[in-house]
Amino acid sequence: MDGVKVGVFLSDCGNQLSKILDFDDLTNYVKNISGVALVSRRSEFWRGEGLQTIKDDIEGGKINRVVVAESLPKLSEVNIVQAVEEAGLNPYLVETIDLKDHCAWPHRETPKEATEKAKAMLLAAIERAKLLEPIEKLEFPTLKSTLVIGGGIAGMQAAIDLADLGFEVNLIEKAPFLGGLASRAGRFFPTDDCAICIQSPASDVKTITHTSRKCVYRSGFSEIPNLTILTNSKVVGVEGVPGNYKVTIENKPRYVDEMKCIACDLCTTVCPVEVPDEHNAKLKNRKAIYMRVPNVYPPVYVIDESVCKFYDCAKCVEICPTRAINLDQKSKQMTLKVGSIIVATGFQEWDSRVIKEYHYGDNPDVITNLELARMIDGFGPTGGAIVRPSDRKPAKKIVMIQCVGSRDRRWNPYCSSICCMISLKHASLIKSAHPDTDITLCYIDIRTTGREHEDYYERAREMGIKFVKGRPSEISRNPETNTLIVDVEDELLKRLLELEADLVVLAPAMVPAEGTKELAELLSLELDKDGFFKEYNAKLRPTETKLRGIYLCGGATYPKDVPTASLHAHSAAVKAAKFLTTGKIVKDQRTAVINGDYCGDCEFCPVTCPYDAISLEETTEGHFIAKISDLLCEGCGICVGTCPLSAIELRHSRPSQIQAQIKGLMSVNGTSKPLVLAICCSECGHTAVDSSGMAMMKYPANVRVMKVPCTGILQVHQLLDAFKAGAQGVMVVGCKSDGCHYEVGVQKAEKKVELVRILLKEYGIEPERLEMFNMVYIEGNKFAEAAQMMTERIEKFGQLQLVGVS
Amino acid sequence: MMYDEEEKTASLEFSEVVTRRLGGETIRRCYQCGTCASSCPVAKITERFNPREIIKLSLLGKKDEVLSGDAIWLCCSCYNCQERCPQKVEIADVIYALRNIAFEESHRPNIYSDFASALLNDGRIVKISKFYEDKRPALGLPPLQPTGVDMLRKILSATGFDRLQQKEKS
Repeated sequence: MDGVKVGVFLSDCGNQLSKILDFDDLTNYVKNISGVALVSRRSEFWRGEGLQTIKDDIEGGKINRVVVAESLPKLSEVNIVQAVEEAGLNPYLVETIDLKDHCAWPHRETPKEATEKAKAMLLAAIERAKLLEPIEKLEFPTLKSTLVIGGGIAGMQAAIDLADLGFEVNLIEKAPFLGGLASRAGRFFPTDDCAICIQSPASDVKTITHTSRKCVYRSGFSEIPNLTILTNSKVVGVEGVPGNYKVTIENKPRYVDEMKCIACDLCTTVCPVEVPDEHNAKLKNRKAIYMRVPNVYPPVYVIDESVCKFYDCAKCVEICPTRAINLDQKSKQMTLKVGSIIVATGFQEWDSRVIKEYHYGDNPDVITNLELARMIDGFGPTGGAIVRPSDRKPAKKIVMIQCVGSRDRRWNPYCSSICCMISLKHASLIKSAHPDTDITLCYIDIRTTGREHEDYYERAREMGIKFVKGRPSEISRNPETNTLIVDVEDELLKRLLELEADLVVLAPAMVPAEGTKELAELLSLELDKDGFFKEYNAKLRPTETKLRGIYLCGGATYPKDVPTASLHAHSAAVKAAKFLTTGKIVKDQRTAVINGDYCGDCEFCPVTCPYDAISLEETTEGHFIAKISDLLCEGCGICVGTCPLSAIELRHSRPSQIQAQIKGLMSVNGTSKPLVLAICCSECGHTAVDSSGMAMMKYPANVRVMKVPCTGILQVHQLLDAFKAGAQGVMVVGCKSDGCHYEVGVQKAEKKVELVRILLKEYGIEPERLEMFNMVYIEGNKFAEAAQMMTERIEKFGQLQLVGVS
Repeated sequence: MMYDEEEKTASLEFSEVVTRRLGGETIRRCYQCGTCASSCPVAKITERFNPREIIKLSLLGKKDEVLSGDAIWLCCSCYNCQERCPQKVEIADVIYALRNIAFEESHRPNIYSDFASALLNDGRIVKISKFYEDKRPALGLPPLQPTGVDMLRKILSATGFDRLQQKEKS
């Protein structure tokens, strides 16, 4: 600590604080602390002349550590840190405290006690500042390219955005054609126009198409600069770190050369193999060589290798006028190097066969919404006619059933959110095309939350579509009339109905697309309890993941209608662009560091790290030592709290620094009440203390507040040491259990508090002297109440007696 | 919960009382979809019984209406509703819980009181008439053995059944 010169800057907020705190006393106190080179007092230090004095003192060589007591340090800190850096000092050698919201305001009725607490706060800050070390800023280069996984509406939109912005984009689709679920949906709400319409890309393409909105299949989509489209392809391997991913793609053979095929359709005329067409709800057959619908991208035929007879037939090869067909094509692997990845894998209909009493799968006249969409589509297998699949006769009576497998605790407990609108859209489309159709829609609750969505419900009623509030229990066949009978209770009439139907349409739950789990494993991404990709923060970062450089959009996170999927896709594209555009990641080294002398052979930290930032490396002696990636480490310190050998430290929150702070805060009491230490996380916990002060809430001055990056950093011995340092009670204040900003830190802290309480009991100390609290920023009242409660509790216990501690 | 804890629960919402009962725990999950009612073989033949309505009345706190009516006694315990309920409400078990509460509060059809007396006295719910006893040899069945009524009484005493029955008589 030789040569450390601390400058202490006390803001009195335009003499507001000096009405409560005795600034002369404080100044004299601080002056006498070793290492303090100067003390300065002004109205404010975070801008203007005040800020200039800090810069001058640094530039003049008077100080090399800065402690600022300023109101709202979380806001003013940015200015101060920048100024310090401009003045030539490492910006991480600054410590800020809040004498207003953490001291003067809450303790305004006991000014003497408040002044004593302020002394303790200043001592803690100065002692910590003395131990701070310079932190370096690191740069990691990133590639300006991206991979979009999934060629549905969301994936295509995100791909266009990024390609348009000049990034190199690879769009891959598992199926042989683009379009995803949307290409089967026919028409969309709320515009009732076709499904495959997307925003046209930049103006240079607009000159080709002359419109701003285009059909993806005819828009010159494939001609967009920077965009490479790979169909029939999937991700089989991912390596690397944010900004530099190496992705292995498996490209299944199409057996038809994309550059040669002219889509003349001669091949299908000679192909002898016919199979039911999955894309068209099996309502018609297709050949082994086929195209999904006439206007599809890519406009190139594909051979279904599961049914093709290959060289036993090869008639298509003979007839093809451009020799585009090559039966010898093999599956190939390729490697893409990309800086970021966008996951847009979407969702699919749940398999309704599980609900046996509805007989989907064994009764052909029970179909799903997506299958009905194919019938409504003029390009579809029935040319727009609504028929009973069993005999192809027109379906005159239709019953629709909502919530099939969704809002169902047995299968998918969530509301799939779009099915009500899909069914209302289908009912209205059918009724307007065939007004004599009798349509009854059975629902539990109709959910039409969205712009113009309620209009659909209203219009449906006006058109004469019937609504029954009730979930049908069973579908059976009337053997005499060959129609279906749907058993349902109309709850509003309290009457059991047997609805007759030619066709029953189920609205199945929407579930994550096939392969979601496997992809999540490849990318090390988490899934939510329903199996969808989990975003980093549902409220503020809905398209980000905890891995920088990997983004989510569309139905991969939850079923979405097209407007929402579009919003989501554009949002993901912006986030990806923001990440890619500088070509580098700049990150400071406030990360964890391993002490190789202590570390060895255990696997606690790599397993605990929420960011996969820790790996194990073999040493020459055959031991394993943890290695931390500065790029992936987020500086939470959960590994520090986990390491049984204390072999990990955070560069900016070393145990020595934390210890110095605790000692400082416990050095002066000045009140008649027992000292209580509140260790708060810098996210929710510490800001809750801020908000209690801002709202002028009161709690006694014996409660002392300090912050750590995350409560997960705390070690068992640190909590015990707090008592040794003089705390009569200790509060650990973290985020809500499910709201930790570092995923699991607060949960780790809760467990540790539990453990320490057991130890305290063993030592004969009341375990209730230590307590865990969870709160968010706006719960300042909760902090004030907790501080009051702890003080009263400890007062009842009386003075803590520690053996060997005076 | 035993019946002698009744007083503690007097101030609770009726549906809360039901959730604290064995079998009644799931009642508050119900979102009134009616799958139970249209699955119910009893509801098909009489309007006097509708499982969805019983649950709705309970959730709304219409305790007396639920307990004093005859609806809860009409369930045939086929468990069809319980199998199909999308919210996993254990409907048939909820109805058992309601029957137990009703019994404790002295709302009980005579036939159930007779069953209870018969069970305590003879160890059988249905009294065996001489007519049936005489028929058994003709059908090749052995004569009925006396029931272990003493042991049964111990169980009924331990579970509070006999006290319930006494309470009614007083």
